[in-house]
Amino acid sequence: MEQKPIISIENVSMKFKVAEEQSSSLKEFLIRVLEGKNKYREFYALKEVSFQVYHGEVIGIIGTNGSGKSTLLKLVAGALEPSEGRIEVDQDKVQLLTLGTGFDMELTGRENVYLNGAIIGYSKEYIDEKYEDIVRFAELEGFMEEKVKNFSSGMVSRLGFAIATARETPEILILDEVLSVGDMFFRQKSEKRIQEMIHSGSTVLIVSHSSDVIIKNCSRAVWIEKGVVRQIGEPKEVCKAYKNMGE
Amino acid sequence: MEQIKQLRQYGFVIRQLVSREIKRKYTRSYLGILWSVLNPLMSMAVMSMVFSTMFQRVENYSVYFLTGNIIWQLFTGATNAAMASLVDNKSLLIKVKLPKVIFPLSRVGAAFVNFLYTFIAYLLMLVVFRIKPSVTMLFFPVVALFLLLFCIGISYLLSIIYVFFGDIKHLYSVLLTLWMYCSAIFYPVDSTPEFVQRMILENPVYNFIACARNCMIYQTLPSFGQLLRMVIWGLGCYAIGRIVFAEFQNRIMQEL
Repeated sequence: MEQKPIISIENVSMKFKVAEEQSSSLKEFLIRVLEGKNKYREFYALKEVSFQVYHGEVIGIIGTNGSGKSTLLKLVAGALEPSEGRIEVDQDKVQLLTLGTGFDMELTGRENVYLNGAIIGYSKEYIDEKYEDIVRFAELEGFMEEKVKNFSSGMVSRLGFAIATARETPEILILDEVLSVGDMFFRQKSEKRIQEMIHSGSTVLIVSHSSDVIIKNCSRAVWIEKGVVRQIGEPKEVCKAYKNMGE
Repeated sequence: MEQIKQLRQYGFVIRQLVSREIKRKYTRSYLGILWSVLNPLMSMAVMSMVFSTMFQRVENYSVYFLTGNIIWQLFTGATNAAMASLVDNKSLLIKVKLPKVIFPLSRVGAAFVNFLYTFIAYLLMLVVFRIKPSVTMLFFPVVALFLLLFCIGISYLLSIIYVFFGDIKHLYSVLLTLWMYCSAIFYPVDSTPEFVQRMILENPVYNFIACARNCMIYQTLPSFGQLLRMVIWGLGCYAIGRIVFAEFQNRIMQEL
């Protein structure tokens, strides 16, 4: 069955300029310019990455720290523009799920629900409507008028998760390390929530360090190392190869 | 339709960010938001006590000074806060698909809300100093509007520059000191030598101050020349800021 890919990544490279010697002030910068020493080293965060994602797939992306996983997600989500290559995806359908984006520790739990909700694109009416659900899911009844700085870190991430997943399931869902928050019980609960979202027909991209998460949830895995795709295929095989590299 | 919905959403985000800035400011005090009025009221009282003996030949010196001062405070408050807005919200910028102008705008918005509170204190002072109410005062919001546009324009520019050069912060604070002394906030313009006077008249911030003084204290509308300058500086600055911001907003992502 020939299907049109829902996300198509073709030969995408992402280049960053890194100043060899960081000039931290105008004076230093000017001196460097005068000496002709303001050199940049080019650094590829991603190099000629291509793969396709089809409707209904759950893709796991694995790789060591700094291998370019997050850069890839930002490219798909449209937060960055690739320096070379092409990415085809309907940006309106993409939802990047990150925890606690823009939480303000000095504000109360309730105020943060509104602030955080607004930032990730909920309207006021929508938050009003979902507020009770969010609090119940995060198990924070009775704490919402407290300042978030008095919350434990588990409470903060629970609240973040509850806000982020309160929405109707988007068509393309991107999860950046969100499956490992809270205690064991909350983790089970949140995995169930994600499973529901996956099964309601979203196409999902998951980034994780944990091969368990990938094997458990994904239908296909992509291993990226130093910006280059090393392997694409069965989650089990890819994770095995990834593990072998570490040894 | 879709666009209207999106604009409403951005409005909601800006309101949330503005209210965050304001709540944060008073988060550790008992009187909280009341300080927004109390603080300017008290400092106005101090300032007018200190300065009222200095230029006795100026009629209503305290009000003369206060009018200039609230305008100046709005300008410096807004531009200073907005300058770091992109850098401070770096993590948000990377993760969320929001127009980047929202960040400098919400800082300017917070400064403007502060200005409105200060304005309440200012009105109280007008009553204390027995300034006669007049119809020309109704023109003040127009002045404030163009001042706001001017501030937004400068803020766009500064926030972009700050991403590339942190040093601008220090340069700008020095520039502001100089700028303040050239804005005739606490001295009468005609007490300066002629060439300085000409410089002050060309100063956009002074122009806003002069317009405000005209309609609040002297019960006259600003002159045609003043109005023209006000509109040109307001719109021009806004337009330039907007263009520069649009031009650079993608390049800052790599820099952050």
